[in-house]
Amino acid sequence: MGKKGLVVLVLILCVGLLLTGCPKKTVMKEEPSMKKAEEPVAEREKAAKLAAEEEAKKAKEKEFEKSLVAKKEPGIAGEVFESRLLKDVHFNFDKYDIRPEDAQILKDNAALLLKYPQVKIQVEGHCDERGTNEYNLALGERRANAAKKYLLSLGISTDRISSISYGEEKPLDTGHNEEAWSKNRRGHFVILSK
Amino acid sequence: MVIPPAEARVYLDINAPTFVQIPIVLPKWKTVDKTPPTLTAKVYDILANDLTLAGFFKVIDHSRIPSPLKEREGIPNPASLREWTSNGGEILLAGEALLNSNSNLILKFHLFDLVEQKHLIGKQYEGPSQLLRKMVHRIADEVILQLTGEKGVHNTKMAFVSVQGGRKEISISDFDGAEMKQITQNQSINLSPAWSPDGKKIVFTSYLRRNPDLYLIDADGQNFRRLTSYPGLNAAAAWSPDGKKMALMMGMEGKSDIYLIDANGNNPKKLTTGHGNEASPTWSPDGKQIAFVSDRSGSPQVYIMGAEGSNIRRLTYEGGYNSKPSWSPKGDRIAFCGRVENRYDILTIGVDGSGLQRLTSNSGSNESPCWSPEGRYIAFSSSRLGGSKIFIMNANGFNQRPLTSAKGGESSPAWSKQFE
Repeated sequence: MGKKGLVVLVLILCVGLLLTGCPKKTVMKEEPSMKKAEEPVAEREKAAKLAAEEEAKKAKEKEFEKSLVAKKEPGIAGEVFESRLLKDVHFNFDKYDIRPEDAQILKDNAALLLKYPQVKIQVEGHCDERGTNEYNLALGERRANAAKKYLLSLGISTDRISSISYGEEKPLDTGHNEEAWSKNRRGHFVILSK
Repeated sequence: MVIPPAEARVYLDINAPTFVQIPIVLPKWKTVDKTPPTLTAKVYDILANDLTLAGFFKVIDHSRIPSPLKEREGIPNPASLREWTSNGGEILLAGEALLNSNSNLILKFHLFDLVEQKHLIGKQYEGPSQLLRKMVHRIADEVILQLTGEKGVHNTKMAFVSVQGGRKEISISDFDGAEMKQITQNQSINLSPAWSPDGKKIVFTSYLRRNPDLYLIDADGQNFRRLTSYPGLNAAAAWSPDGKKMALMMGMEGKSDIYLIDANGNNPKKLTTGHGNEASPTWSPDGKQIAFVSDRSGSPQVYIMGAEGSNIRRLTYEGGYNSKPSWSPKGDRIAFCGRVENRYDILTIGVDGSGLQRLTSNSGSNESPCWSPEGRYIAFSSSRLGGSKIFIMNANGFNQRPLTSAKGGESSPAWSKQFE
């Protein structure tokens, strides 16, 4: 019993000290406590901002995720995905160099690929119907590789990009005029694995 | 002075740059005994078409023979040959068909020179009736041999790309487009068929495994198998004349170059160097040289090199687009597809660069020339009738006729060797 009484007394003394202790100490202690009082607001803002960013990122991720459309073709192995966020580049007749106006498209595509480092793509080189099928295979090979090289130069690693030439065999537009032809001379991107 | 025997007289020099077609009269064939008349009519129609496609003849078939000769059937009495000359005929080919009790077809024919009033040859073929077409082709070949000194191409086949259900498949047919048979059914994109020199196999490119790889298939559609799958293009393969190697387009280094591989697909060896796009190799008949397309000068042009990649020289200089060369079996000329006045036409040129000849004009887009095995004809694809169809013409551009009466969508012809 006597021991218990002592413990209670010590506790009371301690509380007394805390309440009536040295003012200096109190001030020093109060400084951090004042900061503490401000912190929740800043942190909340920061957290909210982070959460918003996270949400935006997730939404963007979802946007990419949502943009993926599975594509399966008879007679060609495997399923690939297409995304409207990976845009086509186009070429002039019988040419395979990246046009200055298409450089930004490749930069945007590269930025997307840098954001999603797990994504592997294939660049397809396509031609219009004019000229021989075989020469167009060669031209398509060159177009696919021109786009691929450009992406490599923007820091995409080589094991993430393969290339394939379809020559004139897969036109987007089956018309026989310049309008159709200019659409068909393209570098197209498909996602092999996401 | 040696006078050649009458049988060896050559009525037509088919290698001359120009020639006048021989008017040949084809009276109705006679149906013997209980042979179905439809069978005789079939023999007659195939024969008339063979001789028309041959390009050397102006065929006067029974619809163009005046009455009462029009109704006359079978082999005429040699004493009355003169009456057949009335409509300008110089040669007469007559015959009869008999289906015997063993279901064997017996085709008998006689060839007469109407100008000199004499009999040239008479022969008889017998075989199972399902070989009717082949037997008629043989008669046509015999007639052509007799009149031109060289056998015809009627027992050859054509391999080509045909659109089936929106996909490009490989098909083969008789040289005249008959008996068309689709030999791939994979719904992929199948391109650039080429015959093995022995006529047993066809090599082609297919996207089955999401890469343009080389595949082989027997001409009867059996033994489909993959031959190569190097990274990038494996395309436009051409067997060397000895069958031991193939030249082809490969893209292992990020652009198309001409490579050689062994016939089993191994040991790729790069033949072309530099920065150009290289395409469509074709062998000289002696196997010592390869012609191909390169844009190393800034536009696609035809070049020739040694089969080891040495001594590259440019062959074509006219026009801004010359592609898909095909070396003639006689070795002296190369056919190719060139852009003239914004259209694609078939041209030929001597291997020394001389004697450029344009064979098609004002008739749609014409592509993918290839020679018949003895070099007297060129097959090609043309869009002149709408969709792409395969045509043949004499090597000088005469007598351009569509082979396939199919729906359209046929392209990239490859002509087989002459079978037996």
